[in-house]
Amino acid sequence: MAVTPVAPKRPPTPSGGPPITTLATPPAWLPLSWLVFAAIGLIGFGTALAIAARSVTGTPGAPTAVATVHLGMLAFLSTAVLGASHQFGPVVAGRRLRSVTAGLLTMLLWVPASWLLPFAFATHRPVLLEAAGVTAFTAVCLAAWNLSGPLLRRGRGTPVLGLRLAICYLVLTAAFGVTYTFDMHHGYFLLLPRRVLAHAHLGLLGWIGLAYVAVAEKLWPMFLLAHRPSTTAGDWAVRLVAGGVPVVVIGLLIPSVPLTSIGAGIVVAGLVGHLVSLAGVIRHRRRRMELLHGFVLTSAVMLIVAVWAAAVAGMFDLSITLRTRAIETEVFALTMWLGLAVIGHLHKIVPFITWSRMRTAGHTKAPNGRPLLFAHLVNAPAARATYALSTLGATTGIVGMAGGHVVLVGVSGAALAAAGAVALSNLVSGPLRIIAIDRRRAVASEGEPTPTKPAPTPAPPVSVS
Amino acid sequence: MGAPITEADIDRVTAALHEVYDPEVGLDIMTMGLIYRLEAGMEKVIIDMTLTTPGCPVSDSLPEEARQAAARALDPGGDDRVNLEVVWDPPWSPEMIDDDALAELGYRRVTD
Repeated sequence: MAVTPVAPKRPPTPSGGPPITTLATPPAWLPLSWLVFAAIGLIGFGTALAIAARSVTGTPGAPTAVATVHLGMLAFLSTAVLGASHQFGPVVAGRRLRSVTAGLLTMLLWVPASWLLPFAFATHRPVLLEAAGVTAFTAVCLAAWNLSGPLLRRGRGTPVLGLRLAICYLVLTAAFGVTYTFDMHHGYFLLLPRRVLAHAHLGLLGWIGLAYVAVAEKLWPMFLLAHRPSTTAGDWAVRLVAGGVPVVVIGLLIPSVPLTSIGAGIVVAGLVGHLVSLAGVIRHRRRRMELLHGFVLTSAVMLIVAVWAAAVAGMFDLSITLRTRAIETEVFALTMWLGLAVIGHLHKIVPFITWSRMRTAGHTKAPNGRPLLFAHLVNAPAARATYALSTLGATTGIVGMAGGHVVLVGVSGAALAAAGAVALSNLVSGPLRIIAIDRRRAVASEGEPTPTKPAPTPAPPVSVS
Repeated sequence: MGAPITEADIDRVTAALHEVYDPEVGLDIMTMGLIYRLEAGMEKVIIDMTLTTPGCPVSDSLPEEARQAAARALDPGGDDRVNLEVVWDPPWSPEMIDDDALAELGYRRVTD
């Protein structure tokens, strides 16, 4: 008997490159450890935002406000993206990290630095600030060297190209940051608001933003199960964001309003391409809407709010108070664009990495005895609660900052911290539950052969068209 | 020369592939329509399979799991009696899932 549902042709490679070898995948503990620290970073960021709500609202230069922003950028977002890059880069490029040990060392340097640096800001400790800055910069250089192994592989498409450029911008952002930490102590030059904004936009758009825009081109079709007829919008998005960011940054540093405006126009065009790409993925999806759609669509709304707030701050003649609020709103909305995207994708990435590791360790059955699936590793109501809390945090934060409402900013921080706590407990407890059930099964069947009841299977399809 | 592949061998491999599950969707790869060709060659079972999207989360492990399942079904010496290739044309679509499973999963019929 032969089953020949569809007569296949044999193209040499798919559009996304040849099949990925398992040899390229780093050990699961490496990305998972990074991602655990990122979730803890989200809890820390939310808590700091709740505590420093008054200074964050209206006085963005206050030490506790600067500390809060850095906690969000470093301990949450950058930690998550660095961790994901240690998985995504090798897997998509089909080439190993230069060194898994270097990946561990990067994490051991980065995580303490990402917390010490905000602490030093908040407590006025210049020497500690410099030490944390140098440590973070060292970690970034180590990450760049390590990730250059897979990311320098040519012909791997827009996602790898974009991530490669994002890592370059990460090194530049860290170089800016460590320079500023020394400047704050020794006063080599005035740390004017436009210079701070140059740093912020380099990090938010050039590093984390570009990384997301690039990686999304791989993750969205995969996780949302979409076969798009064209990837042109996404390809342009990566190139325009990557090309526009340095123009914006140079424009802010010189300073030059026309140059900043041109750069902003290029970046916005790229972000529009990113949204068009998302619309294409949604339109060509081949399954019903699910929670990740909710995360990425809400995240996209935050991006639109950020662009709108930036346009208000840049194009209208506002009082200092209103301009400050608009810029705060823009930066926070950009943070939530990326934050919601990170939290949403973690609910797909973590179960996938964990599933592979658990299968290797022999945990192959779900509690109902059927084969273990990704869905068994996440509690769906808890994931929906995370979505609700993070959306609440993003929305109240934006309204609070735009309107100068301290209470709303405090609520935002509390909701984000709660979202981080629920996400962390959900993603950690899912696998632990399966392991505990397997152990109980093993104890129950001690001395007897392991039950290997096969899952019920439907009749084989004779033909499919 | 190895033993020729028989219809019984194909039946065993078919049953074995029904035990390999797509961990994202929750269906076995036969029901998913991921197996494009399963037939007897001279001394090997020839399997062409695809994945839901290029670079899907299990693009590295699922074909290998399918290959091992087929090999086990042909033991002894099954490892040398399976020729599995991943192919991408035609691209997989939910049209290839059987109707009951399609409705259960909430997939959309492709109309474009």
